[in-house]
Amino acid sequence: MIAIPTRADRVATSPLGRANPLATLAVALAWLLALSTTTDLRPPLLVTAVAVAAALALGRVPPADLARGLAPLWLAALSVGFFNALLSPANADPAATVVLAFGPIHLTEPALAAGVALGLRVVAIVAVGVAWGRVTDPTHLTDALVQQGRLPERFAYGALAALQAIPWLAEDLVALREARRMRGLRASWHPRVLVGLLVLAIRRGDRLAVAMDARGFAAPGRTRYREVRWGMLDTSVVVAGLAVLAGIVALR
Amino acid sequence: MAGVSFDLAPGACLVVAGPSGSGKSTLARAIAGLVPWAAPGRLDGDLRLDGRPVGSTDPAALVARVGVVFQDPSSQLVMERGEDDVAFGLEGRGWLPFAMRARVPAALAEAGLAGFERRRTARLSGGEQQRLALAGAFAPHPGLLVLDEPTANLDPSGALAFAERLAAVRETRATTIVLVEHRADLAWPLADLVLALTADGTPLALGTPAELMARHRPALVAAGIWLPDEPPPPVTAIARPAAGTQPLPPARTQPLPPARTQPLPPARTQRPLPAPLLAEARDVDFAFERGIPVLAGLDLAIEPGDRVALLGPNGSGKSTAARLLVGLLRPTRGTVRVAGRDPARIAPRELARLAGYVTQDPERSFLAGTVEADLLLGLTPDERTRAGDVAAALGIPLGRFGARNPFTLSGGEQRRLSLASQLVRRPGLLVLDEPTFGQDRRGYEGLLSLVRARVEAGTAVVAATHDLRFAADLGGRVVRLAAGRIAEDAP
Repeated sequence: MIAIPTRADRVATSPLGRANPLATLAVALAWLLALSTTTDLRPPLLVTAVAVAAALALGRVPPADLARGLAPLWLAALSVGFFNALLSPANADPAATVVLAFGPIHLTEPALAAGVALGLRVVAIVAVGVAWGRVTDPTHLTDALVQQGRLPERFAYGALAALQAIPWLAEDLVALREARRMRGLRASWHPRVLVGLLVLAIRRGDRLAVAMDARGFAAPGRTRYREVRWGMLDTSVVVAGLAVLAGIVALR
Repeated sequence: MAGVSFDLAPGACLVVAGPSGSGKSTLARAIAGLVPWAAPGRLDGDLRLDGRPVGSTDPAALVARVGVVFQDPSSQLVMERGEDDVAFGLEGRGWLPFAMRARVPAALAEAGLAGFERRRTARLSGGEQQRLALAGAFAPHPGLLVLDEPTANLDPSGALAFAERLAAVRETRATTIVLVEHRADLAWPLADLVLALTADGTPLALGTPAELMARHRPALVAAGIWLPDEPPPPVTAIARPAAGTQPLPPARTQPLPPARTQPLPPARTQRPLPAPLLAEARDVDFAFERGIPVLAGLDLAIEPGDRVALLGPNGSGKSTAARLLVGLLRPTRGTVRVAGRDPARIAPRELARLAGYVTQDPERSFLAGTVEADLLLGLTPDERTRAGDVAAALGIPLGRFGARNPFTLSGGEQRRLSLASQLVRRPGLLVLDEPTFGQDRRGYEGLLSLVRARVEAGTAVVAATHDLRFAADLGGRVVRLAAGRIAEDAP
């Protein structure tokens, strides 16, 4: 899932937006790890609720923006849950209560419960990921990864530049398909369009690399426009995030 | 590119002029110290920057003294936001944070982008991106500035402002400038030295602008190089005052240069029968994203034989209007008709013969591995027979260019190829987006005479352009867009 950010600046100035992205990342990873160890229904529901609430209240993510990020994934969660319930081995248990029997479909209560739990976990994982993605500015994250995470600059800023180029790729595709239409051809997924897209992507990458080098990217002694530090806010984000998680697990 | 020699004193300004395909961009990259370690190529001979040979000096140390702006600003913006992009070059040169925080807003303001700190680079218009690339190059106060067609994407007032800014930089004599630029009227007055190249990349002449004009004028003209004493007409010559009621005279403030073809017969103002409209936009709104309108209330009707220059500053919606008129975009509100029909309901095959469109960025319109295959794509047998003639008239004869990969052509040649592949279909309406961008004199004249020939055959031409020379030479209606609305539609 690549979220090309269209967040307003109010996100960047919110508490979660100002926090070190590595702090929010640590919390998100801890939540995801905890989710993968539970089969209960309640933790994923609570994690989902907390993640959404935090993104809205502490991250000031516009609700419509968040909903858009989550929209396609409800369907994924639903289908994961449905098919897991349908194909669960628990359906073969003759002692289990049958919930639904219709033609070849034979659904028992334990299978349904397992399916619902799995679907909810998918929802929670996606919610945490989308919430983190919406409050995190890619530039901010890259700065933090380089300055605190000790990631090599060349790799980190190269990856960031590549991320910036993705919207251009989408525009290249539109332009190539328009070019086909202007030749009187259908604007279909012709192999030529895909080859053209690849050529344009490589050329753009090439030029970008030259432009970065021309601006002194390879030079030693690079300084930093944005210093990312670890402060009280970041420690509180981690502590609060872990405390909420502990509470959710304890409630189980 | 072969046999180029020059000495450039610190603080001097060298203008590189030459027909398209003469290797100007390659030379610019070499001067910037990027060949061969960052850009491909082989460098023979002796190239020194600051007295240090480029071949054996640490490239990073060289680059720290140089600011470069290439063609195609979109592929040299690195960071997501304006201020980070300007700061990127400062970081690489070891500026201290407090100095960067002071310099970044100043560099943006100098480029006419005050307040663009938090703007997303990918959402800027072509002209704004060009300004941002210039801000990034100027920010570190480089010892040497290498600029490759820096005004190509700027609207006329932006180009003029940029030339003034460059003159101020030159005045300080602290920065050496290498400027590759087709706009001779802007570039040559800044030059201490002009290097003129021939089409095969060998030097034609090197000297002060006055020397070149006095001694080499015929050779420069023959090589297809624009000269500084034939500037495009001033904005006012083709602008009608907003309150004015009398029709704009088709005249220009200067006589046509002798090389031009004779002017067209005046457009007919009365028709015996109401002619069918080739294209029509009625009360059209358009937005790529909800809430961010690009065009509002666009009303435009194109009749056979119309010549329309679509003018307007960077980001005013010219390209969007052009794409709407040929049915590539569907209006958010209102209707667009091509030959009286909804373009969405016309088969692509037929639509391409009713309306042709040449995009602003030719690289994104190539669909085959060779020039010939690209030109012939989707043509009827009839059209195939005349493809060779069209290509030759535009200076890209298939004999010499047919087997080449379109991506290896120079910027000017690529544009002419994308024009050829539309002109060959002889569509009833031809919509051109910045057709003269980066063209040398020969490319320009070839283009103009072909367009005029199509107009005489009844084709309507709509050209979205910053090039006031072309707008005047087209000699028809002027439609001026401002902030997504038609500010003026003058006959």
